Amino acid sequence: MPEVDTLIQRYLEGVLSTDEAEALHGLIEANPEDGRRLLRHLEMDAMLRASKGLTNGGMRAPMLLPKRRFTVTTVAGVAALAACVALVGGWIGSGLIESTRSESEATTASVAVLTRAVNLEWESPAMTAGTPLVPGVLKMKSGLAQIEFYHGARVLIEGPAEFELVSAGEATCTRGKLSAQVPPQAKGFRINTPKGTIVDLGTEFGLDVSSGTSEVHVFKGEVELHPVSDAMRSLKEGQALSFAGAPTSLAANPLGFASLGDIDSRTVDSQRMELERWKAKSQILNEDSALKLRFDFQDRLGSRSLMNQAGAEGRNGDGSIVGAEWTQGRWPGKGALEFRNVSDRVRLSIPGETKALTLAACVRINGLDRVFNSLFMSESWGDRKIHWQITRDGLIRLGVAGSGGDRHVDYDAPVFFTPERFGRWIQIAVVFDPTAREVRHYAEGQLIARLPMKDATPLRIGIAELGNWNDSRQKGGVAIRHLSGAMDEFALWDRVLRDDEIAGLVR
Amino acid sequence: MNTDETHAAQAFLTHHDFVKGVALKYAPWPGLVEDICQQVFLEFLAKEDRWDVSRDLRPLLATMTRHVAMRLWRERTRQQPEVVQKLAEHIRQLAESQEAPPRYEEEIAVLRNCLQKLPEKSRELVELYYYNEVGTPEIAEQINMRTDTVCRALSRVREKLRECIERSMERGGAAHA
Repeated sequence: MPEVDTLIQRYLEGVLSTDEAEALHGLIEANPEDGRRLLRHLEMDAMLRASKGLTNGGMRAPMLLPKRRFTVTTVAGVAALAACVALVGGWIGSGLIESTRSESEATTASVAVLTRAVNLEWESPAMTAGTPLVPGVLKMKSGLAQIEFYHGARVLIEGPAEFELVSAGEATCTRGKLSAQVPPQAKGFRINTPKGTIVDLGTEFGLDVSSGTSEVHVFKGEVELHPVSDAMRSLKEGQALSFAGAPTSLAANPLGFASLGDIDSRTVDSQRMELERWKAKSQILNEDSALKLRFDFQDRLGSRSLMNQAGAEGRNGDGSIVGAEWTQGRWPGKGALEFRNVSDRVRLSIPGETKALTLAACVRINGLDRVFNSLFMSESWGDRKIHWQITRDGLIRLGVAGSGGDRHVDYDAPVFFTPERFGRWIQIAVVFDPTAREVRHYAEGQLIARLPMKDATPLRIGIAELGNWNDSRQKGGVAIRHLSGAMDEFALWDRVLRDDEIAGLVR
Repeated sequence: MNTDETHAAQAFLTHHDFVKGVALKYAPWPGLVEDICQQVFLEFLAKEDRWDVSRDLRPLLATMTRHVAMRLWRERTRQQPEVVQKLAEHIRQLAESQEAPPRYEEEIAVLRNCLQKLPEKSRELVELYYYNEVGTPEIAEQINMRTDTVCRALSRVREKLRECIERSMERGGAAHA
């Protein structure tokens, strides 16, 4: 029989056998000190469970659901365990000896952020508003981009343009028009051109680098112009200079450049058009007979259910909202649900089994706080249920449970949700393709992983949840796997969507 | 949540560690404290119009917590085999007979600092078991050690934390941890 410390631990863990319970009972009856010892451990155990919120800097909210007991099933995530094993390393073997391992801290190479993108067409790889920008060249065919540099300068670029980010306080414009606002904190912000460099002294100015011309217009404050083949010139408010050839003085023309007011109004127009396009596309999607479930999150504000928009399904498959609150989706007028609490979820049911499956969702991830962060999970686990989720490391996973005692299989895309992608709306999809015997992951309409299928047995989703997980097998508590973020679209087909169809969900 | 509910919720929040301390005394069952605290919170809010939140809420919360704790403890232990029920009842009587008032509220305030004082490996074990939710059999299996060894190590960590808390309480509490 294990010694008293082990019995106490097993009591705390909720896994005492009846023999062990009897033995522990006998021990604490015979020796009251062992009983007091158990109570001390119980109290410390409760405090340590509660300290999770403390150490994460969050408030220990009393409305949290019950803490789970640690059982085999609640820690079934082998990947999480593997990660933890690395953490433990030689812990026990070294007898609690201090290690020299230091925590590696995440880093970013970004120097600016694309804060707004209006009707942008890209020559270089496309980006959406909210994308952090690393040094490199941006090429735009048309549209308007607002970039905020980490040192504080804000630049509006009108396409066509070619603009290179050099650092948090420097850029190069080889083609296009831009206007810049440089607050005092960003004084010294530089923009290089083929014909000279502009150094801003805390101001607003415009720059036009078109074929055959290079002009700088000062709207406010002062800039220094360092022409390639001439002496430095200082330009003040209201002044402009053409410096492609022999320098020629001009009058500053603010109307010739995009302003913040322009981008505000164009953003509103652009978002309205995006929403209308999405609505039109939604109607077509809803007609697909293979579409079994589609939530567009355009239900009445405050509604506590999501209506299944799949045309062929009638009112079957509506989702019940628990806890999650309504918020704005991708555009003004677009609804979304925010998942932030352990209780937040949308509960639904997908009866029967399906040979092929495509799932798509548009999500905004705020952070990956838990080992597993649910996108869409069947209740419990086993018998060909599925768990679509994001791991703490940021990789997207489709877990498929085995049947008849077979092991489950995790189909993992590479790490995708890095901190740079937090806070942005991103379309993701996964396809279970038994014909090609593949599982494919997509993000932003692009294929990001193609994985060989190990078991093509049909899937049985059953009762499932968006943004959370419930395990009906557990009586003492369920592992916390809720999403920290928002969702504004979710769809499920019982067929394989082609690559171009998935790309079309984003366009 | 309306304004009154918000006030009631805020009032409760200032006392929820007190509630946990009372819960632990009347329902010494692993993992049950959070359930009790949540249930008391819900019942407190449901009747919020009856409470004068400007007064000392502790007597009221102590009574509510005791009732909820005993109810949930019975529900939880009833599901257990008889031998486990007897053990649970013995532990409950033991906890109730403790004369010292619950110190959970004061102690949790110093726990954070004590956690920071733990050796790195011990902190990692706490993180693994309590925060990443990995059970002792799984830890033991993966590192090819006996479960008993992991259990003893966890026990030692809790004892170290207990000693640290006692020392800092003797010196005056959280500010001295």
